[in-house]
Amino acid sequence: MRLCRRDGVPFVARGHGTGLSGGALPVKDGLVIGLSRMNKILEVDIPNLRAVVEPGVTNLEITKRVAPFGCYYAPDPSSQVVCSIGGNIAENSGGAHCLKYGFTVHHVLGVEAVLPNGDLVHIGGPVLDAPGFDLLGVIVGSEGTLAIVTKATVRLLRRAEKVMLLLAGFPSIDAAGEAVSAIIASGIVPAAVEMMDRLTIEAAEAAVHPNFPKTDAVLIVELDGPASEVDELFAVVEGICRTCGAATIEIAHDQAQRDRIWKGRKAAFAAMGRVSPNYYVQDGVVPRTKLPEVLRRIRDLESRSGLRIGNVFHAGDGNLHPLICYDEAIPGQAEHAEKVASEILMYCIEAGGAITGEHGVGVDKKGYMPKMFAEHDLDTMQLVRCAFDPTGICNPGKVFPTPRLCGEVPGPYRAHPVERAGLAERF
Amino acid sequence: MATRIFEPVDAAGVATALKEAAGDSLSVAVRGAGTKIVPPASDVVISTAKMTRSIDHVAGDLVATVPAGASLSAVNEILGRERQWLPLDPPRGHRATIGGIIATNDSGPRRHRFGAPRDLIIGIEIALVDGRIAKAGGRVVKNVAGYDLSKLMCGSFGTLAVVTSATFKLSPLAPHSQTVVATVADLKTLSALALAVSRAPVSPTAIELQSPPHRLLVRFETTEAAAAAQTAIVKDLSVSHGATVTVISGQADTDAWRAHDSRIFSASGTIVKIAVLPTDAGDLLSSLHRLTDAAAIDCDIAGRGALGIVLVRLGGDTGAHAGIVGELRRDAVGRGGSLVVLSAAGAASDTAARVGSLGDAEPIMRAVKARFDPHHILNRGLAPWD
Repeated sequence: MRLCRRDGVPFVARGHGTGLSGGALPVKDGLVIGLSRMNKILEVDIPNLRAVVEPGVTNLEITKRVAPFGCYYAPDPSSQVVCSIGGNIAENSGGAHCLKYGFTVHHVLGVEAVLPNGDLVHIGGPVLDAPGFDLLGVIVGSEGTLAIVTKATVRLLRRAEKVMLLLAGFPSIDAAGEAVSAIIASGIVPAAVEMMDRLTIEAAEAAVHPNFPKTDAVLIVELDGPASEVDELFAVVEGICRTCGAATIEIAHDQAQRDRIWKGRKAAFAAMGRVSPNYYVQDGVVPRTKLPEVLRRIRDLESRSGLRIGNVFHAGDGNLHPLICYDEAIPGQAEHAEKVASEILMYCIEAGGAITGEHGVGVDKKGYMPKMFAEHDLDTMQLVRCAFDPTGICNPGKVFPTPRLCGEVPGPYRAHPVERAGLAERF
Repeated sequence: MATRIFEPVDAAGVATALKEAAGDSLSVAVRGAGTKIVPPASDVVISTAKMTRSIDHVAGDLVATVPAGASLSAVNEILGRERQWLPLDPPRGHRATIGGIIATNDSGPRRHRFGAPRDLIIGIEIALVDGRIAKAGGRVVKNVAGYDLSKLMCGSFGTLAVVTSATFKLSPLAPHSQTVVATVADLKTLSALALAVSRAPVSPTAIELQSPPHRLLVRFETTEAAAAAQTAIVKDLSVSHGATVTVISGQADTDAWRAHDSRIFSASGTIVKIAVLPTDAGDLLSSLHRLTDAAAIDCDIAGRGALGIVLVRLGGDTGAHAGIVGELRRDAVGRGGSLVVLSAAGAASDTAARVGSLGDAEPIMRAVKARFDPHHILNRGLAPWD
């Protein structure tokens, strides 16, 4: 990175390349700094529930290492068998259990990172409350545009004493949505609440045979915690599902049964390949109370567009993953699917939500940033960017639409000194 | 020149005041309820006292957007109508404002379960020194669009921008609260018991150390039956550590926690916050006692037993405070931790640095500050390196 800085060469850090928004795509005339070989778990401290890992360690590897001690690493993106912790930090990855346990930013306590000027810095660490600004809070989720993380101290959790999971089949998405609202209103915070619609149920069935009921919607609800609490609250959840019209309820009694149900859910994206030649994965967020309204709009869009849209989502936190099916062999259909996906994002913005809940902005969605944020908002984010990366060499062209150069102030366009000297063009 | 005081009612008013001050190169102090930060001397004071309107609570989404000047207790009173709350319990929390809580990232015993403000905040609105108003995050709990400026503001002591409102994720109010109070013989046992409880199959909202006397308070806020079952587990553990145990609920529970919350901040003296690894807390507290015994001064302790966060108030002869703070900081830093002076008495107020070393991250922190507040007009003296 010091060499890049010296010669003004842009670079991008890359983990295992599982990102869904193009955040780790190479930049023009730049370097790709691959971190896959930095794949060691350096330290595990069970008494303090900490682990120090290199960025190339896969997410699930941490849990595997500490499982014998009854511990695990909480963020669990669907790609956790392959995705790297470095990538998780860049994207602030979530997963199915973030409703109760939060995101990567809540589980990374410190990082060693290299700044775009080549300086090695330590931010946070195994001990909480390191003095100074919470730079960790902006580095996590910055999509590799502020620094390259070379080590991370992560928090481990002890496995809950009891985990209970049910799979409920509902006659409609609305009925399942009502159940979710009623669960939240009852004061219960489940470990996970996931919903799938008919199309994604069919796809999952074709791919991994989870034996889900063939209904319009299934809800997966998982509770964890001390046995006394889980037993009591689980009965409440089951009652709510029945009241809201669940036609079938399957209660998982052992780990194998839970694994089967989770496999059905986590395989949903890839499974779409079984029912459609191609599909476009969207990632948007709406306030939970707006879910029924937005899902209705998506259904209207489906009939209007002529493209099938599967819906699989984290219902507890309003994170939608519409899967738009298309066939690239049919001329124009890929573009059509992209337009449909784009329209869904507009629904999310109009509902007061966000353009991405966990996949990141990357190159894919930077054009939507001005739709979600005002110019002042983006300029203020650029203040952070310019503090870390004043010359704009750290993963440029990602997250932000045509960022201003760091010396520039808002107002009528004025040429940057670098531009006046003929060293750079306006971008 | 006399200090000018602004009491804007909204973000636009804050932005205007900031822009004027910056234009005249005047220094600005930001004031909430004054429960934590003593505003530095300045040309201009911006008070959030009148920014208390429009608390926007969406119960079905478990989120609320609240103005910076609203007190935590006023916010929680409103949220309580829907049996929800913003799960923060910093010292003097009844008066502390939302803006001040964000600026200090302050929390209390229930941080054990719910985290600190930075863990609960999901969106923010700030006024910048150039008079612009900016937002980051949003009103949904899951959102990775753009940089998370809300976390950057947490603990920044108002030195980067002025927070005008914030959105938080909330928690449902629990139907029942009860607390196991275990009194043990010494600090080492106290710390060991706290760690043992944190490893037990229970899910308390707080595991709190206090001394003197050496007591562990373990709070359960859940259904009555679940609390009873978990209480039994902690009771047995405590007895096996030689503790005398009582279980309190109802008014006694409320009173015990109120007394605990005020034990550090209700008396005069030097108050510090020490952070170390949870397993180091026992040793550190033992050396604290050796130091205070040698200097013949009294000290009060309250701390998050499973998190490695301890608040200490040194009383008695203030002449000894600076030396003890220095020793403790060396000890904490030697263990990879830190010591922050929250309020200093006597000689300690002149000699003890507030924060201590920022390590190799200091230059990048200064670079961030320079971008947000290039002329250093905001809350002078409260930047991390001051």
